[in-house]
Amino acid sequence: MKKELRLVVNGQPYELYIDPKTLLVEVLRDHLGMTGTKRGCNSSSCGACTVILNGMAVKSCSILALQAHGGEVLTVEGLASGPELHPLQEAFLDHGAFQCGFCTPGMLMSAKALLDENPKPARQQIKEGIDGNICRCTGYNSIIRAVTAVVNGEYGVKK
Amino acid sequence: MIRDFVYLSPKMLKEALTLLSEHQDECKVIAGGQSLLVLMRQGLVSPEYLIDIKGVSELAYIKGDAKRGLRIGALTTHRTIEKSPAMKKGFSVLAEMERRVASIQTRNWGTIGGNICHGEPAGDPAPVLIALNATLSTASLEGKRDMAVQDFSVDYFETALKPDELLTEIQVPAVPPHTGTAYAKFNVIESDIATVGVAVSITLESGDGLCKDARIVLGACAPIPMRAKQAEEALRGKEITDKVLRKAGQVASEEAEPIADMVASEEYRRELVKVLVARVGKEALARARQA
Amino acid sequence: MLVEGRFTLQAPIQKVWDTLFDMQTLASCIPGAEKIEAIDDKTYDAVVKQKVGPITVRLEFRTTLTEIDPPRHVAAVGNGEDTNKLGTFTHKMTVDLTETSKDNVEVSYSTNVSMVGRLGTFGERIMRAKTKEIGDEITRNLQEKLTSGTARSDKDVDA
Repeated sequence: MKKELRLVVNGQPYELYIDPKTLLVEVLRDHLGMTGTKRGCNSSSCGACTVILNGMAVKSCSILALQAHGGEVLTVEGLASGPELHPLQEAFLDHGAFQCGFCTPGMLMSAKALLDENPKPARQQIKEGIDGNICRCTGYNSIIRAVTAVVNGEYGVKK
Repeated sequence: MIRDFVYLSPKMLKEALTLLSEHQDECKVIAGGQSLLVLMRQGLVSPEYLIDIKGVSELAYIKGDAKRGLRIGALTTHRTIEKSPAMKKGFSVLAEMERRVASIQTRNWGTIGGNICHGEPAGDPAPVLIALNATLSTASLEGKRDMAVQDFSVDYFETALKPDELLTEIQVPAVPPHTGTAYAKFNVIESDIATVGVAVSITLESGDGLCKDARIVLGACAPIPMRAKQAEEALRGKEITDKVLRKAGQVASEEAEPIADMVASEEYRRELVKVLVARVGKEALARARQA
Repeated sequence: MLVEGRFTLQAPIQKVWDTLFDMQTLASCIPGAEKIEAIDDKTYDAVVKQKVGPITVRLEFRTTLTEIDPPRHVAAVGNGEDTNKLGTFTHKMTVDLTETSKDNVEVSYSTNVSMVGRLGTFGERIMRAKTKEIGDEITRNLQEKLTSGTARSDKDVDA
């Protein structure tokens, strides 16, 4: 029996009727067409599906969508303001912090969640902040450099 | 592929217990789902009814202090415990352990109660809670039960929880004087489960004295979190030196019953026990001296 | 996944052999055995159900004896599947009986199980640990059966 799901995604309210077994990532990608969030592993190991739910970074493949009922979700599609990219996105571009790009949406969301909680993390804290996101291409250093650049204020101050 | 189920989401404890009492073996309880959904996604677990208790907010809390001990609601998330100002001094080991649980994303949604009830022998919270002499409470429509955390684990992924019961609270007693507790885990990839986990609690007679009591708990070395009692005997009543710690590590490595799997051989796990018991014991001793 | 064991029994070697080949006895020694049926004198079908925490496994398999050298040695191969489609497996087994002294028999067995499918990947850790436990339980049950069984037979002979 389908259940009602009401949630706000990137500032927009949505009302859906879904099978209870639907995962949050499936609602975002398949029901709402927001394919920025990726399904990388199907084993809750890679973090490519990371979104921010009620202010917390979570793996959307490991949460039943109904548990997000009444909540607020921020996905990678919600980082930019119109044509203006988020400082993290600019920094990732400038520092070559992605190659294939598959881990990138999840990586950006984890980085954003980190900076939301701690705007001035040290290098070790940046590493810890993204240790739930696996990248097979970059070796992580360019990602850390990009986040560090944002922390240092090189991309202005933006939420 | 997750198979269909009837979804129930009580918001109050009484409501949840009533549903449990009605469905018992036909249902599975989900809290954060960070362990259960992994199994359900693979079709390894397919309950007819899923009772989602994540919304039972009355079970998410941290109460108490260093003097009275802590009372942690079963639905408190790992991240809440990790960041809680209550995890000071003797309880700091709880925050340190939580920091090593999986990844931030998992800790943000997963709960300590869900972790304990899942009964993963490589889990992080159970060995530390056992080292801290913690107890827990369960509830059903019939009433309440209390037991030591140590007695809660029964077998691989099996706990003493009855089909009509919910875990409601974990109690961590006030830390006795001159006691220090520490935890370490070895894993191959950061945010993975423990290849071996070791929690040690040492109580001294006085600030600098002999060992009055020791608790050594091993994770991922047996079907349940295991008290290495012979290794504890190697410490009790002695002046703890590096040599004594090494001996305890040796005894623990022989006492443990690890299995071999894709990550490590039995021999390697025993070696990890030997090294970690001595290393964690040394840290616990330093904390006991400062306490 | 290799499971090995050995144990000693006080009984004439022929008696131990006969007991091992008694399907009813064997079935009662394997925890969760729902049935063991002889198809012909070399082939047996069995269904075994086991529970590991929340995971229930129901294995249907066929075992064929490849070497029979009474009363000392038997080798068998088998294959089967989980009836809930969680995986398939093959296994190879040998059992050796050695008379260490008069009426003292050492039974040693070795079985190699290979699992494919979700049980093999996600369940590997869990299955491996449980298999050791089951192996120990079978050993205990067999020992008990053979001890009480031989006591009974001795009495019969006397009568």
